[in-house]
Parts: sequence; C-alpha cells; structure tokens
Amino acid sequence: MGEHVPEMARHAPCGIQPLGQKEKKLADIVTFTNVSKTYHAGTPRAFTAVTDINFHVEDEPGIGEFIGILGPSGCGKSTILRLIAGLVPQFPPTTGEVIVNGQPVTGPGADRGMVFQDYTSFANRNVLDNVAFGLECQGVPVGERHTRAREWIAKVGLDPEHDQYKYPHQLSGGMRQRVAIARTLILHPKIILMDEPFGALDPVTRRNMQDLLVDLWRELEATVFFVTHDVSEAVYLADRIYILSNSPGTIMHQFKVMPPDRPAKVMMREPAFQESVFEISNILDQLEEGKD
Amino acid sequence: MNMTERSTTFDEEKRDAVPASNAGGGMAQKMRQTFSAWRQIRQESSAGGRALYSLAGIGILVVIWHILTMGEPTQRVIKPIALPSITETLQSFESLWFDRALARSAFWSLGRVFGGFLLAASVAIPMGVLAACFWRINALLRPISVFGRNIPIAALIPLTLIWFGLGETQKVMFIFLASGAFIFFDSTNAVNGVSNSYLDTAHTLGAKRVPREGLIQASIAGVVHGMIFLGVAFLMGSNSTVVSKLAWCLGGFIGGMLLWYPILVNQVIKKVILPLAAPDIVNSLRLLFGLAFGYIMLAEVINAKHGLGSIIIISQRLGPREHIYLCLVLIAALAYAIDRGILWIQYKLYPYRKEL
Repeated sequence: MGEHVPEMARHAPCGIQPLGQKEKKLADIVTFTNVSKTYHAGTPRAFTAVTDINFHVEDEPGIGEFIGILGPSGCGKSTILRLIAGLVPQFPPTTGEVIVNGQPVTGPGADRGMVFQDYTSFANRNVLDNVAFGLECQGVPVGERHTRAREWIAKVGLDPEHDQYKYPHQLSGGMRQRVAIARTLILHPKIILMDEPFGALDPVTRRNMQDLLVDLWRELEATVFFVTHDVSEAVYLADRIYILSNSPGTIMHQFKVMPPDRPAKVMMREPAFQESVFEISNILDQLEEGKD
Repeated sequence: MNMTERSTTFDEEKRDAVPASNAGGGMAQKMRQTFSAWRQIRQESSAGGRALYSLAGIGILVVIWHILTMGEPTQRVIKPIALPSITETLQSFESLWFDRALARSAFWSLGRVFGGFLLAASVAIPMGVLAACFWRINALLRPISVFGRNIPIAALIPLTLIWFGLGETQKVMFIFLASGAFIFFDSTNAVNGVSNSYLDTAHTLGAKRVPREGLIQASIAGVVHGMIFLGVAFLMGSNSTVVSKLAWCLGGFIGGMLLWYPILVNQVIKKVILPLAAPDIVNSLRLLFGLAFGYIMLAEVINAKHGLGSIIIISQRLGPREHIYLCLVLIAALAYAIDRGILWIQYKLYPYRKEL
C-alpha cells in the first residue's frame, strides 16, 4: 500500500472532487452537500463557522476509511464533526444537508460515537460503569454489560482487575482517554468522530494511543473522522486528509496518504512519510500566515 | 536568606554551650522565632497544634467570663441577672433538663425544621433541576424564586401566623417557605455547573428518552413524595381529619410524579446531569439546613409551646437566665454535630468529590 506516497508527492493539492465526477460504485456513509453554518444569522453578530462544505466518504465494506481533518486554528474542524454527530449548536446546518448512511442526520445517536479532547469520563462512575454507560442506556442487563465492559477495558490496554473500580480522578490523562475510547467503541459505531482526542497527552503516551487506535479501528471496520493539530499524527493515522481553509472553513485540499500499516515509531522515520508531513505542514503554515 | 538562617543556628549553639551567662539571650531568641512563625502566611500546621490553639481560644473566653462574674453577686462587674457565673450556669443544667424538658424540646425543634425542610427539598430540588435543564421552566419560576430569596425571612412570620394559625402548621410552613427558594436556586446552580461536554458525550453514547421506564420510576418517586407529605401532615396537625391527611398524601403523589417524570424520562438528565450535580446539591442542603435550624428558633421565640426557642424566651421572661446561655451553647453544638454528620455522609456518598 506504500505506493500511495509517490502518488501523493506528485499530486499538486487537488482541491475537492465534486460529487458525481467519480463513478459511484459504493454507497456513501457520509455525504456533505453545500453545508454551511452561520450563527446569529441576520444580526450584526453573524459569524460563519464553515461554508460550502462538500465531500462524500464511501462505505467500503469491511474496511472503513480513516479521514484526518487538518486546518488552521478556529477554522471549523470541530464543527464538521459535530454536524455529523448531530450535536447542538453546530447542528442543524444553516444551509445544505448532512447525510449519514443514506439518512439525513436528525440528532445525535450511538451509531456515531465521539471522543472529545476534554476528559469527559463521568466523575461519578468508576471505569467499569463509564465503559458500560452506552449499554446501560440501551437497557442491557447489568451482568452482561459489565462482562462486555471488562473485555473492552482490556482491549484499550487497561487492567480489568486492577482498574475497573477506579474513579476518573484516580486516572492519568492517557488512561482517561483509554476509557473514553473503550466507552465509545463498545457500542460498535459505524462512524467514530475524534476531536483532538490525544491533544492533551504527552508525546510518548500519544504514540502509544495512536497505535492502540489503529489496532482497534482495524478490528471495528468503522469510518473514522479525526480532527488534529498534529500533522504527523494525521499523516500517520489517516488514509485521507482534508485540509480546511481559514475561517469560514471550507475544504481546500484533499490528500490520499499511506495507511498506518506499521507502528508509528517505525513509519514516522521513513523519508516518504516525512516528505508528506513537510508538504502538508507547508500548506498549513501558509494558511496561518494568510490570516489577518 | 539561607546563609543568615544557618548562621543564626550556629550562634544559638554557641550560646547553648555557655548557658549560665547567656540564658536571657537564648530566651529572647526563642521568643523571636515563635513570633516569626506567627507571621508566616499559610504555614503548615499539625492537628495537635490546631487543637492546642483552639483550646486556648476557649480558655481565653472562659477566663474573661470568669473575671467579669467574679466575687459576690453584688460586687460583680456585670450583674448576675445579665451574665451568671460559670458555676451558676452549669448548675442550672439539672433544672433545664428536668423542669424544662430540654430533650423533648430539642426533638420538637428538630422535628419541625426537618419536616419543613424535607418538604421544601422534595419540591424545590426537582424544580431546580428542571429549571436548569429547560429555560422556559426557569423563566416561569424565576420571579418567584427571586422574590423568595430577597424578602427578609423574619418578615414571613406574621404572614404565616395569619395563614396557618398558631399551631405546628405555621412552624413547618415557615421553614418550608424560608428554605424553598434557596434550595431551588442552589439546585439550579448545581445543575448549571455540569459541563456541556458531559451532555454531548451522553448524547453520542446513545442516551435517549425512555417513556415506559420513566413512568415506572416517576410512580415510585410519587409514592415517596406521598409518604413525605403524609409524614409532614401528621407532624403538622394531630387534630386534622383523615380526609385532609389523605389529601396531602395524594397531592404529594401527584406532585412527585409530575415533577420527577420529566427528569426520569430523559436518560441524559437521569444518568448524567442529576448524578453529577448531586454532590453540590447535597452540599448546599447541608448549609441551608444549618440556616433553617436557626430560623426555627426565630419562629419558636415568637410563639411556641415547646422547642429550644421557647425555652429561651421563657427563661428571658421568667428566668433562670442561666438557661439562655446553656441553650445557646447546646444549639450551637447540635447544629455543628448535624453539619459534621451530613458532611460525613457526603464523604461516604461521593468519595470522588474530595474538595467538598
């Protein structure tokens, strides 16, 4: 799969591909059509977060694409995720349509799991009950949901015996994000939205979490949207990268990059990888400089 | 700084070596060290040290009291009718306990404040939670709560006397009115303090409305409310009819169901918002209960047959005045014990909220 890299290097940033230009073979899992979001429209306080977002992600059976979203700060990266998730106040969009799995989004649901940058583990629940939260909402009996939660606690690299009864305040930042990931993935969402989930972690923990995420993602076959500020993180994790313009954000560039088929430590040392990071960083730097 | 400190210690050692001639100087040094320790901001303290200084604080008060009431009754600085001596006060405990039935009065006071407060909490907490979740309910209730928080509580006493008569109903309703608005307001604040990111998380994890489950749980909440209201009805009137008691019970059931259904039907409120706000709600209940316990004295001083407040007013009018001082100390001790008790329960209930 490494052949994508020279292809990318040859590519000038290609802009977005209009819908329908490519022959549609697969059903889309996520489609954005002319989506824009303006707050306080028609008042002097009107602020446009994103404008004219168009893209579609195909539902490749048994794989699921990993999409990295990069862009200058404040350009509306999170807005895109929250529009997919159906979370207010970003949802509903002012114009355009967000379609997930053939249906327009009407509100949040467990089919679109989300991991946030803030530590959002419920402070009143221990690790076990945090991970089992979604199953509890579905009405799964306590014994079964705890068994499944323990499996997921182990899968994200925590010790079920040792950690299950700990409360969030007893965990480190990395452990809390492991809990957050387990809590989301236990529901087997078709779409996983990650809003800078590793943004507050130290570099070593971050690498470990990235490798963990790659392993889990392969197993789940879900489509991932991953917002980050870290270019190398995006290039490592993603199959495809969207770069947003300055605010109001719109998709300016789209890259295909090599998939994460080796550990982060190995892959990040390769020249081809570093070349991709360099090229994308350049684009982002130009965008940041172009701000007024 | 370090250098000077070191040299000071060194000097001290030298002085200790020749104690005979320089004892006075060592003493002065020690004094100076103690005073510089007093000046240190936020110095580390030990439990023993704190206890020692607290005892000293009590000791100072006792000494002042003793000096003011020394000697023969006619020769004292303060007349015994205004301030009896310590021994006189302690000796009057027997008559306070037996003649004035201290324990029974304490139970009366506690019962009244507990009944009124429970009633207020059972209504105001769900209202506060709903107001914090839904702006329309908040805007509807806000004028009442702002009014309730800003009228002087003491001014409610004449009104409650007109509305509810001279009996127990007036005491309970006074506490209900005095604490309700504050409980409502604090509950709203506690819920507002729950970060939106928890709500987003709950939504993306599939938290939803559960009408059937909500209805079942709201009925249970209704039954609990019915029991609370029935209990309060018994507390308020031994002479009220069975029908009126049943009406209270039914009213509690319906009110409880209506208040709790919107909370229990929504998993985001039930499983996320309410549990996360609960420690703050309980904490404010603890503080407000202390306040309400103070207010019941006010109501009892004005008119009551039993109660700690009535003992105080009777002692003022008929004597012995010693009882007033004893009662004040006992009330403070009781309030403090209740406060610590609730705090202990808080620690047990919410071990993850260490800062409360």
